[in-house]
Amino acid sequence: MSIDRTDDSSQPLAPGQRANLDIVLNLIVPPSADGRMPGAAEVGVPAYLFAEAPDALPVLRRELQELELRSRERFVRGFADLAQAERHSMIGELRAQQPSFMSRLAMETLACYYQHDRVLAGLGREARPPYPKGYQVAQGDLSLLDPVRARGKIYRDAP
Amino acid sequence: MTAEVDVLIIGAGASAAAFAWSLADTRMRILCLEQGDWMNPADYPSTRRDWEVRMDREFSPNPNLRRRPEDYPVNDEDSPISVLNFNGVGGSTILYAAHFPRPHPSDFRVRSLDGVAEDWPIDYATLESYYALNDRQMGVAGLAGDPAYPPHEPPLPPVPLGLAGETMGRGFNALGWHWWPSDTAIATRDYEGRAACVNLGPCKAGCAQGAKSSVDITYWPLARRAGVQLRTRCRVREILVDDKDMATGVVYYDERGVECVQRAEVVVLACNGVGTPRLLLNSRSARFPEGLANRSGLVGKNLMLHPWGMVRGTFDAPLESYLGPLSCCIWSQQFYETDRSRGFLRGYNMQITRGLGPVATARIGVARGDIPWGEGHHEAFARRYGRQIGVGICCEDLPEECNTVTLDPALTDSNGIPAPKITYRLSENTERMLRHGLARGTEVMQAAGAWDIYSDGPVRQTGWHLLGTARMGEDPERSVVNGWGRSHDVKNLFIIDGSVFVTSGGVNPTPTIQAMALYIADAMKRRLANLFD
Repeated sequence: MSIDRTDDSSQPLAPGQRANLDIVLNLIVPPSADGRMPGAAEVGVPAYLFAEAPDALPVLRRELQELELRSRERFVRGFADLAQAERHSMIGELRAQQPSFMSRLAMETLACYYQHDRVLAGLGREARPPYPKGYQVAQGDLSLLDPVRARGKIYRDAP
Repeated sequence: MTAEVDVLIIGAGASAAAFAWSLADTRMRILCLEQGDWMNPADYPSTRRDWEVRMDREFSPNPNLRRRPEDYPVNDEDSPISVLNFNGVGGSTILYAAHFPRPHPSDFRVRSLDGVAEDWPIDYATLESYYALNDRQMGVAGLAGDPAYPPHEPPLPPVPLGLAGETMGRGFNALGWHWWPSDTAIATRDYEGRAACVNLGPCKAGCAQGAKSSVDITYWPLARRAGVQLRTRCRVREILVDDKDMATGVVYYDERGVECVQRAEVVVLACNGVGTPRLLLNSRSARFPEGLANRSGLVGKNLMLHPWGMVRGTFDAPLESYLGPLSCCIWSQQFYETDRSRGFLRGYNMQITRGLGPVATARIGVARGDIPWGEGHHEAFARRYGRQIGVGICCEDLPEECNTVTLDPALTDSNGIPAPKITYRLSENTERMLRHGLARGTEVMQAAGAWDIYSDGPVRQTGWHLLGTARMGEDPERSVVNGWGRSHDVKNLFIIDGSVFVTSGGVNPTPTIQAMALYIADAMKRRLANLFD
């Protein structure tokens, strides 16, 4: 895999960076074992980042590049060719060294992921905005208030 | 210069709308200037799939994050609590939770009963009919018979408890503590032309259904029909006065940024507990070198913010807790009245809030380390989503002159008008109260069966309640306005927002702000012949 050194924020990610990002995304939210929930790499996070978090893209490119460089230095292989345990190890280091950026990436990823149709379907929710249909909520059992009534007044009179 | 009016109101939020509606029957020429614009409910986040994300961005309650053109920045670096608001027709009722508790009668008599702060110049009994009128005009839902209050009857049935409310109700019952369905400014039935609530959920991002009682859809249509003019995108820079200490009008910037003068016989401030002192302090003159109506030196002092604690618990059973009005369910006033054995004076309200949407559940869970990256993510999420409930602790903070709104020496809004700076800290009394509340919130969570409980406070993004910075009283040296909202120093200047609160009580203030506005309007109407004497 080639190492893309561009930091032009107007350009999308290079193919190698995109592949590494997908790996990172699935390390944040992997597909569920039963196949009900997709991995974060399957829900369009890059496009979401370009649209919703463009200010984070230069740092994202830089960190993906750094990840690839370190992988080659340490394992003599690109990040995509590492075993899963090796990837976890490298991402763990990155989280410790760049907590602010990695936290931002995770938060944006979760925002994209938990709005996606497949994810909502997996949670048993309809993929729609709240309005106009709304939701039904049980009124609840107001007889639970009987002991509160029985104890009587709890406010003070004022002069 | 535009044609003179009889009454000029600055700001179009909760107090202004109620006041304008009430005063409209005098047939006076009434004009309201608002720096924001009308909201289009079709734009509210709940109409879109990305509603959770939009709540944190263009509909954030924090003006420093929201950064709409009509917003002014607030320097809150010297405060553990950020100021929240909304600028537009409806003011902060556009984004408020619509939790609508009244204060207790004792809240108006804190000096007499508890020996702290000062009594209000008016009392609960005086305001009671105005609370009831306001409940009808706004459309308030609730259940009569709450033993925490003098009898009152909300015009609409309460919002649903849902499984979340029932679960917490059982927890309170197990401890023998008070709880009750919250009074809520939400139309739970079709009401006065408004459609009933359909449980969209994110009330705090505007209500696309029109069920939440924001004043752009309650009071303002009635006030405008009665002849009140409302001019939007007009940001007031300063209030003008003559050499007899009478207000003569204002200087404002219109939507094109053009400087204009509006003359008026009476000027009414309704800009909230931060915006009102900001405008007064920006209205310096030779006769008022420390700011308009500030001969007491109290403009901008005694800021109260209701420090907020939050306890969140997770339950085993699926509760669908994300359904229903997010911040309105039940309340507990078990610890509202003073009990000196607790180690603090005054008290707090417990506001039970529902569960969060999937994005917020995941983000908070991951940020806290409760939901991991990678293996175990889905299982940990599933154990929390729809199974969490919150207990908000709304603490009464007492007035202290060291808690202030001043003018920032450098920060300005887009018109170059100096922005407010907040200096605020929690008193020892409030700190003890907050700790007590967080502990009791944890206790009730345990009693209700929660297995994962965490608490935090003061929570930074909770400075909704902006109170006390131009307080009322009979002594001109100890207050800014008199008992019916008229400035001691400027006889045709009135303040009708939360600035006039003498103490804060421990509940959401909008019902009291509006009841006070209606009361002040009535007081003015009774005195029209000698209003300035």
